Amino acid sequence: MPAIDRRSLQHFDWVLVSLVLATLTLGFAALFSATQAGATGALPSEFRRQLIALGIGAVAFTVAVVVDYRRLERLATPLFVFGLILLASTLVLAPLTRGNRSWLVYGPLSIQPAEFAKLALVVMLARHFANHPPTEIRRLRGLLPAGLLAGSVVGLIVLQRDMGVAVLTLLIASTYLPFTRIPARSWAGLSVVGVAVLAALWRFGFQDYQRKRVLDFLDPSRDPLASGYQAIQSKIAIGSGGVFGKGYLEGTQTQLQFLPTQHSDFIFAVVGEEWGFVGCALLLGLLLATLLWGLVIASNSKDAFGSLLAVGIVGLLFWPAVINVAMVLGLAPVIGVPLPLVSYGGSHLLASLIALGLLLNVSMRRYVF
Amino acid sequence: MPGANLGSGDLRIQGRLRLVGLVIALVFTGFGLRLFQLQILLGEEHRRKSEQNAIRTVGLRAPRGEIVDREGRVLATTRPAFELQVLPVGLARRELVFDALAQLVETEPEVLAERLGEPRGSARYQPVSLVDDLDFDALSRVESHRYALPGVVTDVQPRRHYLAGDLAAHLMGTIGEIRSGQLEQEAFQGYRSGEVIGQTGLESLLESHLRGRDGGRNIVVDVAGRTVEVLDEVPPEPGGRVVLALDLDLQQAAERAFVELPQEGEEPWRGSAVALDVETGDVLAMVSRPAYDPNAFAGGIDSATWKSLTGDPWEPLSNRAIQTHYPPGSTHKAMVAAALLEEAIVTTETRTFCPGHFRHGRRTYRCWKRGGHGWVDLHQALKQSCDVYFYEHGLELGIDRMAQIARSFGLGRRTGIALPGEVPGIVPSKSWKERRFGEPWYPGETVSASIGQGYNLYTTLQLAVAYAALGNGGKVLRPRVTLRLESRTGELLSQVQPEVTGRVAVAPERLATVMRGLTAVVEERGGTGGRARVPGLRVAGKTGTAQVVRLDKTEIYEEDEIPVRLRDHAWFGALAPAEKPRIAVAVFVEHGRHGSTAAAPVAQRILARWHEKHGPQEPPQLAGAPGPVPPQEAP
Repeated sequence: MPAIDRRSLQHFDWVLVSLVLATLTLGFAALFSATQAGATGALPSEFRRQLIALGIGAVAFTVAVVVDYRRLERLATPLFVFGLILLASTLVLAPLTRGNRSWLVYGPLSIQPAEFAKLALVVMLARHFANHPPTEIRRLRGLLPAGLLAGSVVGLIVLQRDMGVAVLTLLIASTYLPFTRIPARSWAGLSVVGVAVLAALWRFGFQDYQRKRVLDFLDPSRDPLASGYQAIQSKIAIGSGGVFGKGYLEGTQTQLQFLPTQHSDFIFAVVGEEWGFVGCALLLGLLLATLLWGLVIASNSKDAFGSLLAVGIVGLLFWPAVINVAMVLGLAPVIGVPLPLVSYGGSHLLASLIALGLLLNVSMRRYVF
Repeated sequence: MPGANLGSGDLRIQGRLRLVGLVIALVFTGFGLRLFQLQILLGEEHRRKSEQNAIRTVGLRAPRGEIVDREGRVLATTRPAFELQVLPVGLARRELVFDALAQLVETEPEVLAERLGEPRGSARYQPVSLVDDLDFDALSRVESHRYALPGVVTDVQPRRHYLAGDLAAHLMGTIGEIRSGQLEQEAFQGYRSGEVIGQTGLESLLESHLRGRDGGRNIVVDVAGRTVEVLDEVPPEPGGRVVLALDLDLQQAAERAFVELPQEGEEPWRGSAVALDVETGDVLAMVSRPAYDPNAFAGGIDSATWKSLTGDPWEPLSNRAIQTHYPPGSTHKAMVAAALLEEAIVTTETRTFCPGHFRHGRRTYRCWKRGGHGWVDLHQALKQSCDVYFYEHGLELGIDRMAQIARSFGLGRRTGIALPGEVPGIVPSKSWKERRFGEPWYPGETVSASIGQGYNLYTTLQLAVAYAALGNGGKVLRPRVTLRLESRTGELLSQVQPEVTGRVAVAPERLATVMRGLTAVVEERGGTGGRARVPGLRVAGKTGTAQVVRLDKTEIYEEDEIPVRLRDHAWFGALAPAEKPRIAVAVFVEHGRHGSTAAAPVAQRILARWHEKHGPQEPPQLAGAPGPVPPQEAP
């Protein structure tokens, strides 16, 4: 297999790789600070686990770079089906943890199939739109096949009762919408009808206790008070960092563990507290640069699949980042969505690294044609 | 396929890509502005808050819903309980504070110190409860000295309160902290550890309705733990109301009977009693003695009380009315009599001679009356509870036909009452014995079964259901514990309808014949149930005395010296008014010796109380209760 040719190497994308490495460095430093609080021994166990995930991720990243992404186009369907099966298997095999069934556990190994299903969905959608250019879609019904693809993944995630990830997946799929030519009035019409139907059903079709039941079903861990507490503590942590922060490992909020999930969902608050405005700006700058660079790659790619794959990957990283940061800054409700490359979570890190590997892949082969 | 691909140039998405990039950049700029606001504009304030991080989440427990009787009288409610807490981080000079506190609440400083333990890290910011249920005097003393007690806080929490104490305790059940095994169950989704849930009885069965929803608030506290500012609050939603079919008056009368009837020097009676509405199956009273005080569980039961309850050989926690079954003794004769008539083994004319014993094969079976009853017909046999009459005709009937009809009364299967842990009881037959013991049925066993002695085992509730069926023309009812569920403001949420679960396989006129015999038991001279008589009310009933051990084991003792555990069980099944029954009562007195002297008087107390309320005067109209019955002369 001619893995990588000279030309591709010549166009190796040092910008992307540097951005990713810098973000990872910042992220792991913050994670160490967040996990060492209250931990005993040399390395906090969560930090160690994340390092192992990084090692596996590095290998996966390399594979994702080396194999020509156009081969992936043919693999899209099997990968997608595999992703669906993995997701469906959680409904049967996954134990109920914290109210949902998102984790497949095998000995010391536990993976979150939704993370990989999202990636498989992006690849699938990229191929679909490469064959049916979004620029030629002028009516809502043209979105039906793509909608079914996204819907199957989202539906299975809803059945796992993981609402946050379901919404996230829907948003990721929606990344392709701005590239269609569906007129604004169609969207307006659709949203008016949709909102009206839902609202009417909610207001008149349901009894109080039924509404409660729906909410409880959608999010069994719904606990407004705990979210309120987290949001308040998160704002205090970030705000108290000031311009330069309290110093690495010096954050009182972090080290006294006032944030219940500071190493995963609220890791950005740790950055804010210990490194202040400067640190936050740096991390957000790196993320923004990575996303914009991804769009550049999409623009430069010479084939539709590569271009659309790059767009999807940008969406895959953009949406969780935005939701997470907005949540930590107290601009959005608390839902468990990780910050890409920074939050604790092996499956998420692995999937993000594979996605970035593919992005680099597209970037390197921009002159292959 | 790849050949069909377009180049990205053909896609013409460059413009949109720029637009998307712009949007992303705008979003991140927004984040930058927000960071500027939080970290630079409000930085000082946030830093101050973080330095004295005094923000706490305080749970506001939802009060559990009320449980009321059919007339709205409250059985279980929620009252405020005052908790004495300390905030470890605010506790300066703890020895001094504990010495002072111990005096105020009348305990030892060591006890308080032990409750506190040694919290570390963020746990120091969470208040620790030292005394769960402070009485009002102690509360006032603490409050008036609090300026000198930094770190000491008082908090008010709702606590379950059973107004009637141990009355209907087994119906109420118990509450307790959720166990770790329960937390993992699907049914307890959304529960947190430490939460209090219904563990037994109705508290457990109606948990989701009674529970309500906890709320809480995030507050800023000062160094002394006092609330300075409430940041946000989610108010708790109290649980819903439960209206029981129970009539507190009858329940009280029944419970008292077990305590007041025993003679001086005798222990309170143990056993159970059930009163059912004959038409609706309403459980008007359900007693199980010995009982426990469910209030002891309300604030987390202490281990001494728990041990005394679980270690008690008389098992006060078990609901004897449904969770244990016993041989029914002669109360079973009512069902056998119905079977004898239905299967045409006897008519009302059939007369049998009772010499005081009955010989079958090589065994002799005794009648309870040594000298015998002489010539008896069915009426007399029921009235005097003649064993020989039933031995002889029961043998002719055969065990399978006896079993079939007994089962049609709802015996030998769960009544379906909405309470946990009901046992099905046993109605033996040939195939049952084959299955159970792998042995054939011996005819001698039919002889014993004819007087309810042998393999037959019934719960008190089953007997009440069977007697109710006898009195209502053959309808076997599902006992109804709960009339309706209401929201806390009294809106009707759901209603429980009376339910007929089966029909007695005996024609109504034959049931009427049996009823006349049972009326004679109580109302005629020489009947065994005379002690169940209520002035102004005609009562039908049947006594039962169930041997616990074989007669020869107890014959060595004088009657009063038989060890309690070897004494016979006493039963009484009753219906009133005899002309058109409206209430069925079953009473079981464990080791009470004679149905006529122990169980019948308990039934009498219940029926007398019922008669006072519904008696010849106008009865109050209640949901589900039938209208007044015109007084009529008995034949």
